[in-house]
Amino acid sequence: MKRIFYLDGQPVPFTSGQNVLEAAIAAGMARQIPYFCYHPALGSLGACRQCAVKIYPHDDKHPPRVTMACLLPASDHLQLATVDQEVHTEHRKIIELLMLNHPLDCPVCDEGGQCHLQDMTVQTGHAVRRYSGPKRTYRDQDLGPLVHQEMNRCITCYRCVRFYQDTAQGDDFGVFGSRDRVYFGRLEDGPLESPFSGNLVEVCPTGVFTDKVFRHDYARVWDLQQGPSVCPHCAVGCNTLPGARLGTLRRVRARHHPEINPHFLCDRGRYGFRYVTAAERPVRARLHGVHSRQDAVLRQVATRLQEGRSGFLGSPREDVQSNLALFALADCLHAPFAALSSPWMEALAQQCMALPQAPTLNDVEMADHLIVLGDLGGVAPMAELAARQALRHGARLTVLASRPTALAEAGDYRPTRPSALPDLVTGLAEDACLQGSRRPVILAAAETLGPAGVHALRKTLARLPANARAGVFQNSPNLFGAAYFAADGHTVRLQHALRQREIDHLLCLAADPLGSDWGAGIWRSLAPGLQGVTVLDMVDTDTVRAAETVLPMAAFPERDGLFINYEGRIQAFAPVYRREAQVPSWQENTRGFPAAAGGQMHPLGPPTPQYWLGRLAELLDIVKPWQERLTFYQRFLCPIAPRPDHPGILLDDALRARFEIAAAPAAAPVGTEDWELDLFRWHGGEALADAAAELQSLAPSRGLRLNADVDASFATLSGPCGRLRLPVLPIVGMVAGVAALDQEGFAQLGLHPGEAVQIQWETVS
Amino acid sequence: MSSPISIADLQDTALIARLQALVAESPVPAAAISAVLYTLQDARGYIDDVALHAAAQLTGLSPVRVEELCTFYSLVLRAPAGRHVLRICDSIACHLAGAQDLLAQAQAYSGVALGEVGLRGALTVVPHVCIGLCDRAPALLVDGEAAGPVDATSLAQWLEQWEADAWKPS
Ligand code: SF4
Ligand code: SF4
Ligand code: FES
Ligand code: FES
Repeated sequence: MKRIFYLDGQPVPFTSGQNVLEAAIAAGMARQIPYFCYHPALGSLGACRQCAVKIYPHDDKHPPRVTMACLLPASDHLQLATVDQEVHTEHRKIIELLMLNHPLDCPVCDEGGQCHLQDMTVQTGHAVRRYSGPKRTYRDQDLGPLVHQEMNRCITCYRCVRFYQDTAQGDDFGVFGSRDRVYFGRLEDGPLESPFSGNLVEVCPTGVFTDKVFRHDYARVWDLQQGPSVCPHCAVGCNTLPGARLGTLRRVRARHHPEINPHFLCDRGRYGFRYVTAAERPVRARLHGVHSRQDAVLRQVATRLQEGRSGFLGSPREDVQSNLALFALADCLHAPFAALSSPWMEALAQQCMALPQAPTLNDVEMADHLIVLGDLGGVAPMAELAARQALRHGARLTVLASRPTALAEAGDYRPTRPSALPDLVTGLAEDACLQGSRRPVILAAAETLGPAGVHALRKTLARLPANARAGVFQNSPNLFGAAYFAADGHTVRLQHALRQREIDHLLCLAADPLGSDWGAGIWRSLAPGLQGVTVLDMVDTDTVRAAETVLPMAAFPERDGLFINYEGRIQAFAPVYRREAQVPSWQENTRGFPAAAGGQMHPLGPPTPQYWLGRLAELLDIVKPWQERLTFYQRFLCPIAPRPDHPGILLDDALRARFEIAAAPAAAPVGTEDWELDLFRWHGGEALADAAAELQSLAPSRGLRLNADVDASFATLSGPCGRLRLPVLPIVGMVAGVAALDQEGFAQLGLHPGEAVQIQWETVS
Repeated sequence: MSSPISIADLQDTALIARLQALVAESPVPAAAISAVLYTLQDARGYIDDVALHAAAQLTGLSPVRVEELCTFYSLVLRAPAGRHVLRICDSIACHLAGAQDLLAQAQAYSGVALGEVGLRGALTVVPHVCIGLCDRAPALLVDGEAAGPVDATSLAQWLEQWEADAWKPS
């Protein structure tokens, strides 16, 4: 039966557990009840006293009374009114009180136009200020490069501190003082430490916390072009709402996805977008390192391809269609193709594909027991945020990692060597820690677990009760999309062809084989056999700098496409704006002719990868077969592509099941005396986000992280592909015999997490 | 949030031992925070940054949490105070009974703003939330001892006494 109550005589549907305000907002009747401190993710507090309604009790013993809608549980046939003199007075007086100290600075406030306080003030009709006394003022803090603070605008709704301390469980931000002098900030100036700090900007209903990056290149919200997009910075695939103006991307906000990210984003997702505006971003075609005409560069690439000595390399950083377009081109030319840069990654991708359906982040929040393998927060921060919500609901947490990660501090930390993970995962089915849990969820950092570990995880899941679920994460947006093309041995075959001098040209799509991609060490050793490298990319990489031909690509918010996230969910993103090439003002008069005169008024930004590949197909005279293959594969992979504002479609189970036959990967044995490597990532790090200056100013220093007992200042690591000297960074509580290294380091050495490494120590006094 | 200040910076082993004992006998370390702060305040006069961070480390709370507590409870002092601390209640009952006049009188006598140290180090006057003596309004705390109802004359007596003490050669 549908449950309803009545608000001003209109029926409002509700579900049990909802309060009146929540139900009214859900029913689109929020205009009747102004509110501040209630937030769907943070719940009710009753602090602001703004959400008054009048309740008419069913009995005649009690007179009607004014009460707070956010604290009133919805119940059947409740009679409520807001069209009432008393309620109206309450609404007006409360907002007048809240506005007493508020500065009259809307014209210079970044929140203006998207301000809840502004909306509520107008909505309740508070238009004239009667108070003319002195206002309470504060000194603002410098909270780092991401969030700007302007404390005088505060209305003490406590949303910020509830988000920061309760939801995100951060401990460097709080609320100080009492009475009418309450301050929301840090103990002292300094950057906010939470990986979710940017959400303060969205939860604060006033202009106290605003986006400091957006501030540098600000536009009023009504001037922004916005559109549905998907975060490209990790496998979670949070939904985003980028905003652009005059051909430049200005900010990213969270877009509601009921099962992934109903309200929030991590700071990588919010601030990583600055790769789009980075000065180093390749935006013009290059031939031998010099900006050249598109046609000249394309002709050079076509000549290379015509020689029939080319190999193709795709990437999990690129969307489905671009990888498809590349695959189709390779197919037409009968050239070797690999979607992933290393056989290890290929095996990992296949094992991830073969896993049974992963839990949504919503499911993770509902878990009653969590087992986390590796540093989840460094890879997929929003997955960590979901895990923290489960903790708040009383879930137990066991963390198997080589170092006490932020999440490990909140649960039972079991120091673990990465090489031991496959065996430990196998043992989980018998482990006492899972006994008695009703909704156990295992979350893992894919690369730390490795192919053998993910394989063990699948076998373990088969032995666990059916309610046990597992999700495996890494930090590229489309591993599943790329894994689809990653048949066994593709990468090996491509590398073999290069080694045998069968090919001497490599066409890379958003891959960085000569830089920091997995397996880059091998590629670098093979590089002397390359006559030329062609790269399509949207960030500056080692490979871009070394390439013979560079074809710049549109960034994700500048085009449409599909990503497949860690659940196998196919999500579409739409073009939000069109980048216009940035022409320095002194060149104003040398711009192209107006369109009427046969020229371009606004030179367009970099085209999509499909455009480039299509042009190449044209030059090679294979447009028809290329397009046929493209359509065929796309129909096969996602017969019905979702629309950009759709919550996404899950990859067909049958498609995934075929990866179950992939050979069980073997992990190299590591002796207990050996030093072994684990992967170090931080919450802001990822190939694209690495080009976001503001975010990267917070990056932890580079070095080799290991147990604080080791007495050395520098370490020289040697691997099959090279050596690397790094400063030693001591970590208290880290497992002895494990050293954590960034992906770049792994690439240079030619090693993978959980593998043994030779280390020479140096002590500098 | 990690802090560069450690417990050892208190430089008082007896005090540290007492604090550790307080934490040890508390059911959970965090629950000892009030006792730890009072002990630190007694020993050092007020909660300076060293004491704040020490209290955080001893109880496992973050320094932000400890500061939240210190700034909320007016019995905890975060700035140096005079030898005598006069906490004058200005909550509703006392306010109606003339607390504002007492505050103004005491503050004028101290010669400095509320919360600052006046009378050659002898006196600090602070407003205070209800101390539960509403029936004896206006009420105040003189060096931690409750008194009320207080009028201008009795207040002046204390103040004059302290002023005399302040000028006594020590
Ligand atoms: S800073 Fe913003 S979110 Fe925090 S209490 Fe003030 S108005 Fe509310
Ligand atoms: S968790 Fe991943 S997908 Fe979500 S906002 Fe962060 S980086 Fe983007
Ligand atoms: S929203 Fe109900 S009291 Fe603030
Ligand atoms: S109001 Fe002063 S003691 Fe209660």
